[in-house]
Amino acid sequence: VAAGAVSVLNINGTLHGEEIGMMDVDENDGANGTTREDLVQRVALMEAMIAEGRQATGRYGWNFVLWGLVDIVGLVWQSAKPHWWGAWPIAITVGVVLQIVGVRIFYCRATTTLKNRTLRSIWQVMGVTMCLYCFSGALAHRANGIAYLAAVFMMLGMAHSISAVILRWGVQGGVGALWLGGGVACYFVPGRWLNWLFLIEMVVGMVVFGLYAMMLERRRARQAPVMRHG
Amino acid sequence: MGEGLPELDPVVHGKLRLAVLSLLVTQEEADFTWLREKTGSTDGNLGAQMLKLEEAGYVAMEKRFQGRKPQTVYRMTAKGREALAGYVAALKRLLGGAL
Repeated sequence: VAAGAVSVLNINGTLHGEEIGMMDVDENDGANGTTREDLVQRVALMEAMIAEGRQATGRYGWNFVLWGLVDIVGLVWQSAKPHWWGAWPIAITVGVVLQIVGVRIFYCRATTTLKNRTLRSIWQVMGVTMCLYCFSGALAHRANGIAYLAAVFMMLGMAHSISAVILRWGVQGGVGALWLGGGVACYFVPGRWLNWLFLIEMVVGMVVFGLYAMMLERRRARQAPVMRHG
Repeated sequence: MGEGLPELDPVVHGKLRLAVLSLLVTQEEADFTWLREKTGSTDGNLGAQMLKLEEAGYVAMEKRFQGRKPQTVYRMTAKGREALAGYVAALKRLLGGAL
């Protein structure tokens, strides 16, 4: 029996997919007359399908790219017109609209896993919290303090770090650390550096990370083994 | 199969049904088109096999709308998980000598 056959017998274990043969159209075959080869084929089939199911993930990388760009636009706009109140509310509103459009394009509710639902919930709640926090700060014209920016960084650091723990993904853990470190740095760097700190965090911790996640999602989709007829 | 060897559940044993159950065991729920795509099956064949799994109580089906699109969603039942676990245990015994 192939080594892979052993691993599939524990369906909770880590499995590796392999090429599987054709699918019978006549599915009325029972277990009678099953040969040893048939059984080994069934093991390989289970292994491939479980591996395939585990690879089913959503497409979320674009969210990071979108919000990174929205925040960069907000920052540049605010820097160009420092006393104009509208930069952030408009940038965030446009971001929310693009988010809704993006969800319609990218989001596919073909499958649901507890892990995906948990991650989605964390980021949805974080997004709503962030919007409320930023909007109320901007509307009250009290969004300029260091603590305000540090809190934004910390919220993002927390969401990234929780996601990294759930996904056991070191890269996102690094991004979480980058945001948390940025939140701490806000209190220690000179005030004139804050915009640069914000810009670096957004470029690296959102745009670059989002592009990397999108690249991985595409690669995973290409590598996914699909069962074929014939 | 000789005397004393475990019986394989014929509902689980069908290739397409086994493939579907193996996919569903990794998901909370999955829609028909996703299952069709992953198994490389046809609408008719998959529909017939899903009906058999439903009749056996191994999967539960729900029809709903995603926006304006109708969607048929399946989830594995506790009975289905038990059946798959039983099938795996039987396979283990049958192939045990070589494992």
